[in-house]
Amino acid sequence: MRVNPNYTPEILTDLGAIQTQEQTDTEELATGLRVIMPSDDPAAAAADVQNQALQSQTDQYLQNTNNLDGMLQTADSALSSVITALNQAISLGVQGGNSDLTTANQQELAEQVQSIQSQIVQLANTSYQGSYIFGGTATQTAPYTLDATQPDGVDYNGNNGVNSVEIAQGTSIQTNLPGSQVFQGAGGSVMGALQQLVTALQSGNTTSIGTATTQVGTALSYVSQQRVFYDSAVSQLNSNQSYLQQEQVNLQTQETTLVGADIPAVATELSQAQTAQSATLAALAQIIPQSLLNYLK
Amino acid sequence: MGSLSSSMWIAAQALGADQGAIDATSNNIANQNTPGYSREVPVLNEGAPTVEGDVTYGGGVVLQQIQSVTDQLLQIQISDQNQQQSSAQTQYNALQQVQELFSNPTSGIGADFTSFFNSLSQLSTNPTSIPDRQTVLTAAQTLATDFNSTEQNLDSIQSGLNQSVSQNVTQINTLTAQIAQINGQVGQMQQLGEDPGNLGDQETALIQQLSQLTNVNQIQTENGLTLTTGNGTPLVVGDQSFALQTTAGPNGMTDVSSQGQDITSSLQGGQLGGNLQMRDTVIPGLLSQLDNLASQFSTSVNAAQATGYDMYGNAGQPLFTDTSGPGAASNLTLAITDPNLIAASSDGTQGSNGNIANLLAVQTAALPSGESPIDTYSSLVSQTGNLTDQAQAEVTASTASLNNLNNQLGSISGVNLDEETTNLMNYQRAYEAAARVVTTVDELTQSVLDMGSGVTAAP
Repeated sequence: MRVNPNYTPEILTDLGAIQTQEQTDTEELATGLRVIMPSDDPAAAAADVQNQALQSQTDQYLQNTNNLDGMLQTADSALSSVITALNQAISLGVQGGNSDLTTANQQELAEQVQSIQSQIVQLANTSYQGSYIFGGTATQTAPYTLDATQPDGVDYNGNNGVNSVEIAQGTSIQTNLPGSQVFQGAGGSVMGALQQLVTALQSGNTTSIGTATTQVGTALSYVSQQRVFYDSAVSQLNSNQSYLQQEQVNLQTQETTLVGADIPAVATELSQAQTAQSATLAALAQIIPQSLLNYLK
Repeated sequence: MGSLSSSMWIAAQALGADQGAIDATSNNIANQNTPGYSREVPVLNEGAPTVEGDVTYGGGVVLQQIQSVTDQLLQIQISDQNQQQSSAQTQYNALQQVQELFSNPTSGIGADFTSFFNSLSQLSTNPTSIPDRQTVLTAAQTLATDFNSTEQNLDSIQSGLNQSVSQNVTQINTLTAQIAQINGQVGQMQQLGEDPGNLGDQETALIQQLSQLTNVNQIQTENGLTLTTGNGTPLVVGDQSFALQTTAGPNGMTDVSSQGQDITSSLQGGQLGGNLQMRDTVIPGLLSQLDNLASQFSTSVNAAQATGYDMYGNAGQPLFTDTSGPGAASNLTLAITDPNLIAASSDGTQGSNGNIANLLAVQTAALPSGESPIDTYSSLVSQTGNLTDQAQAEVTASTASLNNLNNQLGSISGVNLDEETTNLMNYQRAYEAAARVVTTVDELTQSVLDMGSGVTAAP
């Protein structure tokens, strides 16, 4: 059988294929990636787009978690100060209920309670990064102003709105309680009880001082209950944070599986290609000069 | 009866035949690296015998013709494979540029979607923050810009392909003119029963070049070959060529016509077919998906904006300008520049973030096309990847098959130096022997002549 005497084009094609393989391997080793262009593995490239989106979304959820943590901690510590202030008010109320006191003494106590009142208004007007945290969604105006003409002694300028923020895919957390609920709730109005205590102390009526003091106590336990909302939100954020960090690790592992290069395998492939290349070149160098003409004189 | 002169005649004929054979061998050796060359073999025949009485005398040797050794069927298969291979190669080259636009998972439209939604998510933690609102606007702007530039890049790849179409048509016309000229001569020789030899090789090589440009049908007629495009538009008939024309079509794209008829959509195979396939089918397909994504995404975001309130307490205005149809992606721009106009609030108060949930819902909700924005984009990525991968596989397969066919043809038509050298030695020996016969016959003739001169008359 006659064979094709001109086999060099075929060998050149093969050499070209080996060189392409070497290039691909070198690129994979340099980048650490198996999928550099979508055509390297279209399905993996598409999945990588989604994986990158999830990774960057997870980073954002972590950022949200950190942002909220600061705000919720601030609210929590404001409420803790409110509770301290209310305890003081209760002891003032108890003092005021003592029948040995003079009217002047009672007026003095009333003034002290008033100062607690304005302290609590100040706490209720706590802001975080420029937003008032107890004004519902009306965060740009101070929620409380003192107003002796009102039954509760204050004007509430906020609303009953609440915000919630997504902190993981499909998980949102409520981020605020409106002041109307915390400080003027049906279960014990802080503002109302304090105003009542002031009025009672000013009037000097020991019975109503006693009643008002009891009401301040009720308000205290109600606020403590409200504070639990912030405590549990903070602890939810903490557990969410570790969940998100784990998620980040998972997504990164997934990314490596999707598009990462198998370095030992690629290195082996590269050295095989190099061996094949030098063998082919050596064989070519051996064969090409051979022809009958070499042996004729 | 045999005679010295007939021996001389036979030897002289042998000298001629051997010279012709050496000629053919020499031509083979000379053309061993000429592309498309088919080796030639001298066809030697016995001369007509002469019969005298009971004796039949051989008539020496006749060099009947010098024949090119080739295989017409293989040539046609090669030209068919050529057009497939160069079509795939052309598409692969263009697709490599296309997939580059969708190759980076950490930048471009896909990453921009996520950045945009992340900036909204960030804003939800502090809805009155101007810097956070500004970040949302910037992210939206980046997204719009990347939509613009991706579409513009696709457009410019498309117009590059369009230029190639015109070039391909010019190349085809040059080749068909050359082929027609040769084809006329080949046809004449064939009519006379002559072997077109090297002329046929030249024509075949030109047809192979032509088939790299477009799909060519070959029909053998008595006037040489008739070449047509795949759908029967004539290119070469006898010694006449039919040039293709280019005309400006819609959208600034070049149409190809023949004798006044638009044949653009029927052209397949070869570089021209590959360029047309990319220009008229693949890239428009990607462009329309990109346009749909841009217009459906901006419509969804605008609708979500409209359900909320901006920082001024007014109902949300569109974030993106209304855009649809062809060019939607390159026309996508922001409709607002004031960060306060982002409608984060659901109740009109500045501190509310209730409407951000609606805006964020666009991230996961299915667009009218059936998938979420990021999923739609990732399917574009896998599409371009698959297209490129397929084209590459086709290039590899058709190259292998082309190599195989060329190898087969080479085994029939290729010049083997060992073989030629051996033949050369044979013809050389034969020539030497024939020359020796001439010398010998000459000596014999001399002897015959001397026969008379050495004899004296009897006394």
